[in-house]
Amino acid sequence: MARQQGWFALVLALAISAAALLFTTPLQLGLDLRGGSQITVEVQPAGDIKRVGAEQMEAVKVVLDRRVNGLGVAESTLQTVGENQLVLQLPGEQDPTAAARILGDTALLEFRAQKPGTEADFRALRQLRSQAEAILNLREEQIRRGEETDPLDLERLGEAQSVLGLDGDMGSEEDQLRALLVKVDAEILKLLEPAALTGKQLVSAGRQPLQNNPNSWEVTLNFNGEGAEAFAELTKSIAGTDQLLSIVLDDQLISAATVGPQFKTAGISGGAATISGNFSAETARELEVKLRGGSLPLPVEVIEVRTIGPTLGAENIRRSLVAALSGLALVAVFMVFVYRLPGGVAVAALSLYALFNLAIYTLLPVTLTLPGIAGFILSIGMAVDANVLIFERIKDELRQGNTLIRSIETGFAQAFSSIVDGHLTTLISCAALFFLGTGLVKGFAATLGIGVLLSLFTALTCTRTLLRFLMGYAGLRNPSNFLPLRQISPPSA
Amino acid sequence: MVASSPELSASTLQLRWSLSSMRRRIWLVSAAVVLVSLTGLVLCWLDPSVGFPLRPGLDFTGGTQIQLERNCGSSCGALKTVEVQELIRSLELPEEPDTTPPNLSAPRVQLLDGGQSLSLRLPTLTAGQGQAVIRGVEPLAGPFIEGGQAVDTIGPSLGGQLLRSSLISLLVAFSGIAVYISFRYDRRYALLALVALAHDVTIVCGLFAWLGLLLQLEVDSLFAVSLLTIAGYSVNDTVVVFDRIRERRREMEELSLSQQVDQAVSATLTRTLYTSGTTLMPLLALIFFGGSTLVWFATALAVGVVVGSWSSIALAPSLLTLWDRSRA
Repeated sequence: MARQQGWFALVLALAISAAALLFTTPLQLGLDLRGGSQITVEVQPAGDIKRVGAEQMEAVKVVLDRRVNGLGVAESTLQTVGENQLVLQLPGEQDPTAAARILGDTALLEFRAQKPGTEADFRALRQLRSQAEAILNLREEQIRRGEETDPLDLERLGEAQSVLGLDGDMGSEEDQLRALLVKVDAEILKLLEPAALTGKQLVSAGRQPLQNNPNSWEVTLNFNGEGAEAFAELTKSIAGTDQLLSIVLDDQLISAATVGPQFKTAGISGGAATISGNFSAETARELEVKLRGGSLPLPVEVIEVRTIGPTLGAENIRRSLVAALSGLALVAVFMVFVYRLPGGVAVAALSLYALFNLAIYTLLPVTLTLPGIAGFILSIGMAVDANVLIFERIKDELRQGNTLIRSIETGFAQAFSSIVDGHLTTLISCAALFFLGTGLVKGFAATLGIGVLLSLFTALTCTRTLLRFLMGYAGLRNPSNFLPLRQISPPSA
Repeated sequence: MVASSPELSASTLQLRWSLSSMRRRIWLVSAAVVLVSLTGLVLCWLDPSVGFPLRPGLDFTGGTQIQLERNCGSSCGALKTVEVQELIRSLELPEEPDTTPPNLSAPRVQLLDGGQSLSLRLPTLTAGQGQAVIRGVEPLAGPFIEGGQAVDTIGPSLGGQLLRSSLISLLVAFSGIAVYISFRYDRRYALLALVALAHDVTIVCGLFAWLGLLLQLEVDSLFAVSLLTIAGYSVNDTVVVFDRIRERRREMEELSLSQQVDQAVSATLTRTLYTSGTTLMPLLALIFFGGSTLVWFATALAVGVVVGSWSSIALAPSLLTLWDRSRA
């Protein structure tokens, strides 16, 4: 009896601490339940690297981590999934456009010198580029507003196209302008020397407003030792000439600046530099994030974007909770109706089971998703099965005229092997799902697996302890609490 | 156990379900249902609009799905899907670098919950283009409930991976279960458990193939999850019956295998029906009260539970009697 009470006290203590835990620590809800955005990117092999390994993944993740932090979304997480994927979760974010763009950009950053003797061509190309870009932006804005577009100077366009060797009759005027821009970018690159240093040598980037004009911003750069040396060398080679220092991001010239003659002897040394141009606060921030993120060692591709609104999430929670509770209420009624006293005990044990389950979710922690809730509900079904197996055995024993206490003991002992076999086979499926599945499938496997393990514990320990404890009271030791008397055959037939 | 013990005399007398005498009828029922299921899978495969044994959903084909909750009150019914389709065809989406502009000529538009919710299926869009579609549709179908929108974009490569990883985990689970049962029982039982499993999975797949043909229902990654769950549940159910057969074989050696099986199935019949019933209760609750995302998931599981019970109390044990030498 003392041992029974010891077990009972242990179960009670566990229940109280589980309840206390649930009150102090909230459950972690997945994005499908609380709303937000999730972006999955896949790292692509490129160049010499034919297969993406753990080392490359780590390198990509470091860069993306920095870019994500630059976004400033609270509680955002970036996780490696499988061999070559990363999942970014942005709770509460409803428009993942900016995040998807920042993640997907390879941002191959290069610092290159302009080739000598190309000043006139370079200037002409840049001028053409900025004009074409301005016209294109204006027209796109007008189209968006549904206004009449300004007439295009077709003669000038045709002239530029023939100089660049472009075909004059492809697509709409906007398409022609876009093609022109792409061609100009390529032509500009031809006028540059190979890269002297890349984003890999960049340690940090920042931004600050200009002192004389707070509406205009500049972006600051800091290089590592190797980078500082290369940067000094580069600036020295073109100081005082008309050759421009060009910053190329993803094969597009984003900034070009002269280097003053005062740097003729030593170049810009010390590893720090500023880029000033026509930066607004916003464009300066975007460039800063790209620079700070550095260049990705491998290109990435956005393969999945999921966004769910917070009210849709709340609706899902509410409906699934109602379903779970009503299903459980039905099961409880059924158990008490069919199994009487032990049925009531099973309901108590199953309530403990649900409590322990939720406590484990907060402890591990398991992030609860909609399929996860489904796994939880299903595991309750399996937990009930264990109790049904035991009680059916007890009834069998009673029908054969065994005493109550002996029937209970034999019932538990005989049900044991089928409970263990049934649970272990389910656990095998859960393990396969958890280790080989992805995303939602994993969440489902986790909750079902935890549920099956716990159900072994509650069925074999909690139900038994509670039942034995109650059998300590003589008033309850009556077989009619277990099944209708007419089904009990008289002792020893 | 001694043959004269009261347990034996009590339990050998009550046969509630004489399985071995109607095993032909059981096989006929199972074969017929499996045949209907296979027909559904083949028809679905041959259907030019599907081309797979099951109609693959967004998770497997890739693309963008936008779901919008409408704030429309009593005028919800007035919106026509054709109008929304026309509007989407005429939309101009912002250009994105390095991507080919999406082809919006064949959007799929569905109105759910009596027009309160709008579901759009489009080719793969970037996040920005998805937002542009929502803004474009708003004047016609809006206003939308703030925070009541969901946008899912799945790249085509991800769908293939999902299919592959689901199939691999299914195969690994099957072989793991087979090894476990061979180890705990013997190879005959493992074989029959797998036959029962294949029977259950085929019927659930067949039902969804027919639903795909008749209601254009698509299967998603949750369906793959439900198949795996059914696999686990079916084996769990069958193993309990096998456990009892093994016990009867030890305790009642003088009976024929068919009689032992009949005894074991009768003894576990109540348990199997009660367990299926209690598992069905939360599932039915999910079907009737759960969010719309889980309805078909719960349906697949519920059908799997019913079929799984049938295969473990009827099909698998009746096949075991094939090894009975006393029956010709």
